[in-house]
Amino acid sequence: MPKHVTSPREIAAKESRAILRRAIRLALDTESAAVRRNTRSFNLNRYGAIAVLPDYEVLKDEARRIKEHALANRKALVQRLSESVTRNGGHFFFARDAQEAREYIQEVCKRHRVRSLVKGKSMTSEEIHLNAALEHDGIRVVETDLAEFILQAADEQPSHIIAPAIHYSRERITALFRRKFQIDLPLDTGEDLTRFARERLREDFLAADAGITGANLISADCGSLLLVESEANIRLTCIVPPLHLAISGLEKIVPSRREFAPFIELLAASATGQPLTSYTSVMQPPLAVPVVDFRGAGPAAREFHLVILDNGREALAQDAQLKEALYCIRCSACLNSCANFQVLGGHGFGGATYSGGIGATWEAATTGQLKLARFSDLCTGCSRCVPQCPVRIDIPGLNVELRSRLNESIPLSPMARAMCLLLGASPAEHASAQQMFFAHYDRVARWGTLFAPLSNFFLKVPGSRWFLEKSFGIDRRRHLAPFPTKTWVDLCDDGVTQKLDAPQGPEVLVLADVFTNYGAPERGRDALRCLHAVGVRVRLTNPLPDGRAALSQGMIETARSQAEALSRYLAAENARGLPLLVVEPSVLAMILREYLKLLPAEPFAKLQNSTMDAVQFLAKHFAELGSEPREVFDIRKFAPGSRVFYHAHCQQRAVSDPSNTVEFLRRLGFEVTCSQVECCGMAGSFGYKKDFYDVSQAVSEELVEQWKAAESAMGPHTLIASGVSCIEQLQGATGRAVLHPVELLAKLL
Amino acid sequence: MELVARSPEAVRDAVLARASAKRPILIAAPRYLSPDYFRPLREWEGVLSHPSASDYRSAAVGVTEAFAAVARTGSVCVDIGADIAGYVSLLPRLHIVVVDIDKLVFRPSDLFRLEQFSRPTFQRSFVFISGPSATADMGPLVRGVHGPHELHILVLS
Repeated sequence: MPKHVTSPREIAAKESRAILRRAIRLALDTESAAVRRNTRSFNLNRYGAIAVLPDYEVLKDEARRIKEHALANRKALVQRLSESVTRNGGHFFFARDAQEAREYIQEVCKRHRVRSLVKGKSMTSEEIHLNAALEHDGIRVVETDLAEFILQAADEQPSHIIAPAIHYSRERITALFRRKFQIDLPLDTGEDLTRFARERLREDFLAADAGITGANLISADCGSLLLVESEANIRLTCIVPPLHLAISGLEKIVPSRREFAPFIELLAASATGQPLTSYTSVMQPPLAVPVVDFRGAGPAAREFHLVILDNGREALAQDAQLKEALYCIRCSACLNSCANFQVLGGHGFGGATYSGGIGATWEAATTGQLKLARFSDLCTGCSRCVPQCPVRIDIPGLNVELRSRLNESIPLSPMARAMCLLLGASPAEHASAQQMFFAHYDRVARWGTLFAPLSNFFLKVPGSRWFLEKSFGIDRRRHLAPFPTKTWVDLCDDGVTQKLDAPQGPEVLVLADVFTNYGAPERGRDALRCLHAVGVRVRLTNPLPDGRAALSQGMIETARSQAEALSRYLAAENARGLPLLVVEPSVLAMILREYLKLLPAEPFAKLQNSTMDAVQFLAKHFAELGSEPREVFDIRKFAPGSRVFYHAHCQQRAVSDPSNTVEFLRRLGFEVTCSQVECCGMAGSFGYKKDFYDVSQAVSEELVEQWKAAESAMGPHTLIASGVSCIEQLQGATGRAVLHPVELLAKLL
Repeated sequence: MELVARSPEAVRDAVLARASAKRPILIAAPRYLSPDYFRPLREWEGVLSHPSASDYRSAAVGVTEAFAAVARTGSVCVDIGADIAGYVSLLPRLHIVVVDIDKLVFRPSDLFRLEQFSRPTFQRSFVFISGPSATADMGPLVRGVHGPHELHILVLS
């Protein structure tokens, strides 16, 4: 290994971009392979499990409702729980912060003269740095969850909420154990390693004076804990030592055991993709079970202490924009379905305790330091986690909010101010020069197009890419498409398009989104040609920004004012409520999903009812007419052949079903192979940024491999993707031309 | 899993067949099934119903009842709130569990709807057991971690 290799602990607290960059390097260099394999396997299993879970969506609604209600009534629930625990013969303690929680547990351990203690996996105990405090008191602390056992041996922070050593391959565990434990036993298989750990830990269980666990949920009415696991270490921790301490955040409390029900199935399915894990315990401590004297210490009575922790949760509960994070049940579905997390894991994409997109809010809330949410920059807003969350948390929304607050916490740089002046944008909202550049893509592109030959000449001048990288962090390895001399709107204003207009037939409005208008005008014209060909009368809107670009940079107010302006424009232009067709999926998702938070209810509902994907409109149009699309779109005109490899845009999948497009292409005679990845890795501006170029490339590898596998199995495929940035990413990674579905369809006319 | 006739002798034979030569066998007295079901078994050599700490250390097989079973998830529900079922179902490498087919519910949430469940003295603590202890933390999936390596379910019908 090279010298001065970063250790995971050094980059745990990501308070700056510099540390985040080092963490990304560490994750990509040493942890990525294991993380990829493990997260993708969890993710695939999860898709399998939820597919057979009866009433999955109903369970999610129920779980969300329970969490909302419980959090709203948290004070009463804490009170009720304290009474229940006391009634059961246990002890209850409410800790306002990490220090109070540590001190209480240390005090109980001192009173019981605890010398050795076993622990079940508990992120909450990680959060309060409990082990170090107990070890300081001379207590031998033994992590018994095998992943935590690995981390304790390696002195590393967790890299995943439920599989904290997900970044360790079997080979690295073998090397670690040999180094740490100095043993000669065979350790070359998972069985060997497990046997070694089991035999060592069994003695620790039997000798322990105390056991510490967390809890998945706690019922206020009777003080029951829900504990979900597979290894049986939590069961042993609860039953073998006479003293049991449980620590849990206040957000885990629900009114009664009945509320456990929907979570039991949701947790297992969402976490490891099993119907249930090996052990789901519902436990009301102290257990009325005799203590077996394994220690030879004589008879002992059972004692139970429950520590409920605030540590920033109460403040989070009062934060209207971020409180949703408290509904989290720590299942990890969001992590496993996150393309960036899949290549980085929680050491790259996470903090000292909590990881992934959901972890940024948690890290900031439990440390009280907003800057520790810096790793939220790794959330691209792709939204693939949104439909996977069993309690329907809008994780990208949380990260946009964090980004906005982080932006506001930093003074506007002279460069960013200059950008605003140059582009005629308002400097009211803070952001970096890079963020200004991407957020105001509409203005950048308008100027670039206006001075098209000159601006494109600039891009070819030696040093220009260096300048863009230094000033705006735009990675010089990225291909930048030249500005067109004519935009989509210009192209369709030339009289040619109007001639194509059918005299009769349904009428639609097509949104001239800024990305297509400036970035791919020909694609826009192809969309109109397809619509004309099927006899639809088309009107193109003005090229107004929709707010997506600004929102992705955390510039919420800019996004909101753009959303309002677009909605006002559309209300005037589209009084009759014609279908509004969108070609660019990120804009479609912006209107159908993000506008819910940005616009008042009524204009949002109007837009939601009228807006749809252009290809889906075509499919629907043929279905309504009952006519055969092959009569219009003739696959024989497409020389490259009938095999296509289709990658559906990540954000599009959050709002509409890409299988409609696939189905439509199949009806035309195409053989469609679909990508099985969550995101292409470009995710709008993300992949253009120098800090994230390598992550973006790493994410794209799986997609490219799937395409290659399709080609080697079946021969050449035409690449199809629906988003501007997906197309750019795929073209860069494959060196092939990539078509938008409307471009493919236009070739069949 | 195996269907077993509702007779104490059938239970005994099925348990002994599953345990083969493994001894000692620990038994937790049933609280839901009739105690008769485990009676012939208790008289067998190497079968212990009142294990000491050292018996637990050396136990090879644990036999408990389950008060319910869940069809969709393939789980059995074992009461660990009193007596020794918590240990017997946990420390030995082989866990054999006996459950009445009449106690089968479709999914976990059905159990929480049962009226008896809300009685405070009933099933204070229990565990849905859905397989042997397992881990994926050491690379590939490994069965047999801190709890039993094997789970055998005998269904009385």
